[in-house]
Amino acid sequence: MKKIKFIFAFSLVSLLALTSCDPGDDPDVPPDPGTITDPSPDDSVFDKFNGELERNVTIKIVENDTAIKMGYLDELLDAFNEEYAEYGITAVDANQGEFADLPNSGPYGYGPDVIYQANDVLMGWVQDKHVTPLPTHLIEAYESDVIPTAAEEAYKAVANNVNYTFGVPLNIQAPLLYYRKDLLPSDWQTNWDDDNNGVPDMVENLVDLYEFSKMYHAEDSTKYGFEFSLNDFYFSSGYLFSYGAYLFGDNNRDDEDIGLHAGDAKLGVQVLRQFAAEMSAACIDDSAKLAISGAMASGKYFASVTTPDVRSVIVDTLATTYQSEKGLSAEEATQLADENVVGVPFPDLPANGDLINPSDEMIECKQMGGINGYAMSSYTKYPNASLAFINFATSYKMVKLREEILQIAPVRSDVAEESDELSQQLFEKISNGSIVLMPSIKAINQVWTPAGSFMGDVAADPNRGANAKYDTLDKIQAALEQLSQDIYDAIHLLD
Amino acid sequence: MKRAFRRLGTKISDSWTNFINFFKVANVNVKASMGLMGLGQFMYRQVGRGIMYLGVEILGILFFAIYGFQWLIGLFTLGTVQGDPWTGKDGDNSVIFMLLGLMSLILLILFITLYISNIRDVSRTSKLVLKGEKPKNFREDLKDLLDKKFYKTVLFLPLLGTIVFSVLPIVFMILIAFTNYGDPIIPPVLVDWVGMENFVRIFSMGDIGPTFFKILGWNILWAIATTLLNYVLGLLLAILLNKKIVKGKFFWRLFPILAYAIPGFITLTAFKFMFAQGGPINNMITSNGGDPIPFLTKDGTWWARGIGLLINAWLTVPSVMLLATGILSNINNDLYEAAKIDGASSMRQFKDITLPFVVFATTPTLITSFIGNFNNFGVFYFLRSTITSDGYFVSNDTDLLINWLYRLSIDKQYYSIGAAISLIIFIITSSISLIIYVKSPAYKKEDTFR
Repeated sequence: MKKIKFIFAFSLVSLLALTSCDPGDDPDVPPDPGTITDPSPDDSVFDKFNGELERNVTIKIVENDTAIKMGYLDELLDAFNEEYAEYGITAVDANQGEFADLPNSGPYGYGPDVIYQANDVLMGWVQDKHVTPLPTHLIEAYESDVIPTAAEEAYKAVANNVNYTFGVPLNIQAPLLYYRKDLLPSDWQTNWDDDNNGVPDMVENLVDLYEFSKMYHAEDSTKYGFEFSLNDFYFSSGYLFSYGAYLFGDNNRDDEDIGLHAGDAKLGVQVLRQFAAEMSAACIDDSAKLAISGAMASGKYFASVTTPDVRSVIVDTLATTYQSEKGLSAEEATQLADENVVGVPFPDLPANGDLINPSDEMIECKQMGGINGYAMSSYTKYPNASLAFINFATSYKMVKLREEILQIAPVRSDVAEESDELSQQLFEKISNGSIVLMPSIKAINQVWTPAGSFMGDVAADPNRGANAKYDTLDKIQAALEQLSQDIYDAIHLLD
Repeated sequence: MKRAFRRLGTKISDSWTNFINFFKVANVNVKASMGLMGLGQFMYRQVGRGIMYLGVEILGILFFAIYGFQWLIGLFTLGTVQGDPWTGKDGDNSVIFMLLGLMSLILLILFITLYISNIRDVSRTSKLVLKGEKPKNFREDLKDLLDKKFYKTVLFLPLLGTIVFSVLPIVFMILIAFTNYGDPIIPPVLVDWVGMENFVRIFSMGDIGPTFFKILGWNILWAIATTLLNYVLGLLLAILLNKKIVKGKFFWRLFPILAYAIPGFITLTAFKFMFAQGGPINNMITSNGGDPIPFLTKDGTWWARGIGLLINAWLTVPSVMLLATGILSNINNDLYEAAKIDGASSMRQFKDITLPFVVFATTPTLITSFIGNFNNFGVFYFLRSTITSDGYFVSNDTDLLINWLYRLSIDKQYYSIGAAISLIIFIITSSISLIIYVKSPAYKKEDTFR
């Protein structure tokens, strides 16, 4: 017992000795906007890019799973390895999964050299210096001026008062509204195309989609015109942005300023709440998202929101349905399904934010999106070889090939000009700011859960009857202000 | 506190006096070993021991001269030079410094222990020599290690393993709780000691204090309720399936075992799907004209808590049932026969024979079950991890402390706060377990059923 007491006393004294040390200074000093400069090619962080390619080295590349599955990565690696064979540089698949954990692998020497990811992920690693600033003067895509400013901005961050670039944008990722063309009413060209532009009104503006949804549901109570998981803030945030909300101030760089309650964001919430009343309970949680392929194939949903990579799953499921229902061959069914699953940007919104008594004036619906691109690990031992890879992979030739194989919307303007209409629409939306890019700061990680939880709560509100929490604009505004505050508190807990 | 320090002072003073007295009466060989480890053993011609102790001293001094001292300093400073991966400038990694410092501290304690053991050893030998006996040689020492001191040989590796894989991480976690390690202070940024700041933050009424107490309250309620529910249901099921009137016992026992055999996360995912807003249960309700029930949504606090209890029962009751079945088969039937002759009813037999026997045998299991349930991460993580509740900081009203800890430390990278909560959980669970165990018949009447 005496020994135990002694050990306890010794531990206590040791602990007190440790805890009496002074805490350090706060390293988080915000930059003074007036003194921010562009990086100079002579900046010491670029010293490692001396132009001398490291010879006989292997660089590890992280690509996204779809690019691997569809064979694009093999094409890219083969082409690069052939081009740089004389230097003995070999690029290989890092085999670390598309969500490679650079912060926990890089510092210890077993992380990838080059990583393909969305801007919010890559830029989330900037603050801790896991990805390195890139010398844009040595990167062809930047030098050729084919990257839109908004996409370039997504990869910029200020450090030591210098506005560095940390990645090379490659393609646009944004959710789209997908609908079943074959489920359009037979008279849509006469009754649902007021502007005679050949595009159904219900996929052009939310007011008509709302009316169509009511009609669709009235015909069959198990079916819904428009349904998606409102609790996925990636999908639902655009409705708030359209009415003036923003995530972070200073062009999504200032995490001291949370603006989900800004402007008339409450109108966006009202629009979603009104539409949720015409959706099933599946819109409250992930149910709608998980059920999308089956529900769209069966016609339970006429339209829904999802990311382009999910489209192929919907097409496959619909093709299977066609095979069994229409007796088509696999090839015919796939071709028909491919024609009938159509993706469009989000429909316009009524300016007054009211679907029940809409204004005539419509506004463009913004949507959250991301720019996927390449960045370089700060821990790479072969910066010049890695830079050569990034240059190669973002060249016109490879971006074009990527677009052809993966059917994605490219960021390079010279490739986008030759792309399909949807890709061009997305490129235009990126350029004019209608696609709000996911913030390139680490604080974005503190947004998804509380904001998604709030939107799920809004989706549940129409079922609450007299106990509704968001049935007036004032209540919505108060809730949005609280949400912004909660996110602020989560970000700045240890400040 | 003052008294504790006074006692500590007295203890140190007494130890010092004893040491001085010991030094005065020690012979030259003992004093030689005090100056140089192993020298006294050499003087007694115990070459093997001498080489080993001398080797320890040389290795120890070399280690501390080259690494150990620096590592120890690093434990206090947690690094002074901040690295810069962009320019390739090497810097200090505070977390590695802490780990190495801790290892160095453990090695220092080990070194001091061996030093003391060296003095005790030579002192023992000197007493043997005084009695006219011959000092043991190296071969006899080795023989002892395989015979009289075999326990030391066998326990060496497990002890080492415990220190490296158990003690070191626990102490490391405890130390993290006293730092500011967490977003945005993550290496290569240097971490610092912040004293009790994280605990003050948890217990204060600022951002996270109220959440802590709300979650703690629910956590205690959950742990008690689910432990009792699982225990009672498992016991009842075991008793029921133990009755002679039940036909096809194997068949009936198979079902709970199947539920138990299926990996927990598959069961939890299935239940989440079942109770989702657009899931089969709500579909059945709405297709029969009812309104969907907010089982797991923000509104469904008590629904979700109830579902959590039932799912945990689904997962755990089979193991309790199996345990109780085994214990029930060990009860001496003569006790029941005697009770019947005395006219005891079935209920009385259960209350006075079955229950005390089972409770006695399963108290330690109940404690581990309580701790397991207190720290039951899976149930509510699977059911409601995407939800935050009003008035809860980065958590919801079904989160347990362990879920909150996960959200803070893994999702949000507030490692130091997470470590402080871990420490609090550890104190709570260990205190409760200790109290329950010490008060239980399993401890008080250890010999009753032997």
